Amino acid sequence: MNNWVEITMKLNGKTVSCRVKPSSLLIDLLRDEFKLKGAKPGCLEGECGACAVIIDGNAINSCMYLAINAEGKEVTTIEGLGSDDNLLDAVQEKMLSHGAVQCGFCSTGVAMSIKAYSEKMKALGIKPTREEIKKTLEGHLCRCTGYIKIIDAAEAVFEEGSEM
Amino acid sequence: MDFEVVTPHTQSELLGAIAANQGKNFRIGAGYTDLINQFKLRPERDLTVINIAQIREDTFRNISKNDRCIELGALVTASDLLGNDTVRKEFPVLCEAASSVASMQIRNTATIGGNICNASPSADMSGALVALQARCRILNVKGERREEPLVSFIRGPRQTSLEKHEILERIIIPQNTSAVIKSGFEKIGARKSMEISIVFLAYHFQLSESGIIEKAGIACGAVAPVIPFADRACAYIVGKRLNELKDDEKEAFAQKVMEYAAPISDIRASAWYRNEVLYNISKALFE
Repeated sequence: MNNWVEITMKLNGKTVSCRVKPSSLLIDLLRDEFKLKGAKPGCLEGECGACAVIIDGNAINSCMYLAINAEGKEVTTIEGLGSDDNLLDAVQEKMLSHGAVQCGFCSTGVAMSIKAYSEKMKALGIKPTREEIKKTLEGHLCRCTGYIKIIDAAEAVFEEGSEM
Repeated sequence: MDFEVVTPHTQSELLGAIAANQGKNFRIGAGYTDLINQFKLRPERDLTVINIAQIREDTFRNISKNDRCIELGALVTASDLLGNDTVRKEFPVLCEAASSVASMQIRNTATIGGNICNASPSADMSGALVALQARCRILNVKGERREEPLVSFIRGPRQTSLEKHEILERIIIPQNTSAVIKSGFEKIGARKSMEISIVFLAYHFQLSESGIIEKAGIACGAVAPVIPFADRACAYIVGKRLNELKDDEKEAFAQKVMEYAAPISDIRASAWYRNEVLYNISKALFE
């Protein structure tokens, strides 16, 4: 197809530009063009959450998001978490220490949802209940952990909240 | 999955894009949480998508409020509704419906306009808006506007009264006239999360200080080709004291709700089950 569209976005902190086919999905752009393989193609129909990334502070499923609509937005993938000082973000640390990662396929999506939610709640000064945390994670399927360890890890992120 | 995309950024560009595509097969795309799946399941040839996700104008985006009504732009997401104080406090039925939509990632992108224009009988947010007697404000390519009650705007599964040269701009909800409300959304599904309603009952009662129902709005979902507003059930309940309904009155109310149900059997539930459940949740509203 000819009329590809030039888009500019902030990807994991860096401003990037690229040309995309108008009907292409964000997950394909991230994985194939930018070689960021953290967002996983699971169900590709919005059920499993393995492809979740953060756009302007909100977790979204990148399998149902047109790449062209990332224009002007701030996109964060799992590769963008952590920093030079701390290789892993607090969310990743808690997921590891609570045994919330087993096969790992769902983990990157889960981490992005917990990250987006924890940032929002911190900004509002709210510590969510366990039920609220579960509600936040309802769009993630995990076939290994039985969810308890994931929810424990997310809760621990908020326990840390006061120290961060 | 392949299609052309036109991305207007302003209302005038949008109307221009709709006018320019009148001779073509086009769809409007906003949140894409259902549209992408539709494209994958039933690929269409020579399809153009008018991508309204990047329109910035307030009329499509904001939630505003005046003495008479609260208005929602068609691009307001389920998460926007959940984050709005007025919606949370004054229209719990809409807040609960928005909260029951799929998952956080989908609530973050799925729009109220898409939920309505998709015209699914099981659309949770549309159901809440029918119970609230919301109206749709529709804009055409000439820039003219018309208003229509949501209950008649939805004509059947995937059918609305929207013409090819029109677009849904805003949804208008009448303000409560009483500060005392009983309002909520009963959703029945096979599981708690990521679920499409097997049956839902959206209700919004406004009461006098002494607990008499002054105004009632009831809508039921996934039990008919449209989302009916149960006006005979509403008329029956108005004037009664909410907390003092007798068993036979609760049953009579549930029977009146049932008059609007003509469910089918499908992959999610049988018609028999839907009838039973609707009767029971209607009766249980006052328990």
